[in-house]
Amino acid sequence: MNLFIPWLAQATPVKDPIVGTQYYHLGWVMYLVTLLVVGFVIFNISRAKGNTNLFIRRIAGLNAIDEAIGRATEMGKPVLMVPGLGALNAISVQALNIFGYVSRTAARFANPIRLCCGDAAVYTVAQEVIRDVYQSEGFGDRFDPDSVRFVSDRQFAFAAGVSGIILREQTAATFFMGEFFAESLIFAETANSIGAIQVASSTEITQTPFFIAACDYVLIGEEFYAASAYLTRQPVLVGSLIGQDWAKMAIMASVLVGSIANTVQLNQTTTQERVGDGTYKEVPARKLKPSETVVGMIFAPDDPPAFETKREKEAAPESAPGAGN
Amino acid sequence: MNPFLAQATYDPPLTFWGRASGSGELWMMLGVALLVGFGLMFAMLQAPARMRRPIVATFTFLAGLFFVLAWLWPKAQGREGGDLPRDGIEAVGFWVEDATGRIGTMATVLSAFLLGLGAYSLLRIHLGRIVKKQTDWAFSVVLLVSMLAMMVVGYGSWYQQEFSMKDTDFGNRANWTAIITAKDFLFDGILQKMDGAMFSIIAFYIMSAAYRAFRVRSVEATILLSTALIIMLSLLAVVDMASANFIANFTGGDKNHFMSNFTISEIAGFIRTAFQSPSIRAIDFGIGVGALAMGLRLWLSLDKAGGSS
Repeated sequence: MNLFIPWLAQATPVKDPIVGTQYYHLGWVMYLVTLLVVGFVIFNISRAKGNTNLFIRRIAGLNAIDEAIGRATEMGKPVLMVPGLGALNAISVQALNIFGYVSRTAARFANPIRLCCGDAAVYTVAQEVIRDVYQSEGFGDRFDPDSVRFVSDRQFAFAAGVSGIILREQTAATFFMGEFFAESLIFAETANSIGAIQVASSTEITQTPFFIAACDYVLIGEEFYAASAYLTRQPVLVGSLIGQDWAKMAIMASVLVGSIANTVQLNQTTTQERVGDGTYKEVPARKLKPSETVVGMIFAPDDPPAFETKREKEAAPESAPGAGN
Repeated sequence: MNPFLAQATYDPPLTFWGRASGSGELWMMLGVALLVGFGLMFAMLQAPARMRRPIVATFTFLAGLFFVLAWLWPKAQGREGGDLPRDGIEAVGFWVEDATGRIGTMATVLSAFLLGLGAYSLLRIHLGRIVKKQTDWAFSVVLLVSMLAMMVVGYGSWYQQEFSMKDTDFGNRANWTAIITAKDFLFDGILQKMDGAMFSIIAFYIMSAAYRAFRVRSVEATILLSTALIIMLSLLAVVDMASANFIANFTGGDKNHFMSNFTISEIAGFIRTAFQSPSIRAIDFGIGVGALAMGLRLWLSLDKAGGSS
């Protein structure tokens, strides 16, 4: 039982352990790491409030947004935005935040927009966000409710629908941001075929190479989450971004320390081996396995052994009319 | 059972989140839930505009708190049906565990309502296009007719299979009714095939995208082309064998020879393990930390939607 947060511990009974080994079998490390990241983000948000002089490195894909909208305005063609196929989650909300910025700029130039959704919940939120953006800019009359559309929640019906819109309306600028899957290349290549300027980002690692191959600008990995901070410079968002950087530095440090620790430990020999019930038996001298190193035990602890728990039982419920129908 | 008001059946023990199907207690709870729901909706409509954000923030926080609890609160070990909690911590753990499935169902019900809004959007756009006889309005007719046909045969087929002809063996096609045959034709015969056709187009798009990406225009594109070539060649058995034989002849079959590291499969493996995997993991870390920070801002309502400046 760990000493720090007893009620979070996953009990691992160990008889005659190697001194200190019991502290390595810690199921709560992942909770601790998560809370550490949360702490970094909250601390930096509070630190950033009122401080507008925080540096964010240049992100080419985000600088290209204004250029893409300007080009669409010159050509008199619509700007297309697609938040991917994902359900309403943090990724879709972040995509809508970026699209809010795009729509704000498009509204100022009276440029038509098309926002195609593949999820009904995302569509509902998108419509409200875009309407709010137009109203807050004082261009409520320019908002066309049909510019935010639900296309289909079937992957390839969505792909066909959006491709059709790209080809029929000859969109001049396209923004693909969010969760994309196999349909990513269909969108990107269709838009490329009509010469649209494309800015894309997918949180799906497998789709990023397709976007890189087919699009003009791609936001990779965390750049997608940095976008709203970069575009709006809101202290809360910039602080959160700095908190994320702290977390990444902590992760990098743990990777470095873990690599050194594993390199040392994997060359050590042991004469003890842990058996299923948590006890140790003597074995001929051999090198430690990866699962026996400190890093292995901290980040990939064994499942705790099952144990019986005696509890009182509740009284059997009286049968209700129609129960079990 | 009424198919329009389906009720789940539960094995005892019944929890706060579930009552016996058809029992008075269940109907009472449904009534109370409806009243509370309408009351909340009315209160939201009446609330002054400046109060809406705090109300939404409170609901968001409570909903998020539930899932934080579901993840953080200690799980009861070895829980069996009918067990009573031993202390307050277990009581909360039991409640959260029982509620998790129910909360998921609530989200599904909400999604169903939102799907209705999505269908309304489609109807509004395409009916408008038909009425105004805009360009390609005939396609809108096809879309609406297809949508209606799928709804009718889908629901009709489900009703027959689940209720009116429940005991029929539908594994035997001879027992299929006209509506089940129609649903099979529309869904499996047309929709699935069209999905497959769209998917297959990707093969051609990959070729055209790869052609553009692999043109030697810069140092980066040259590195990309070289590594891609090595990986692709390593997947060809004949090239792999030829490279292995060439190195084996050079080293005299000594597997510990330094040059044994230079077969095409070894080089491809090195590229994957030394460059590709760490890069993907680094991107994954960035995405994971970003998603966590984004989720935190949403939970605590620190984000302003629409990127307000």
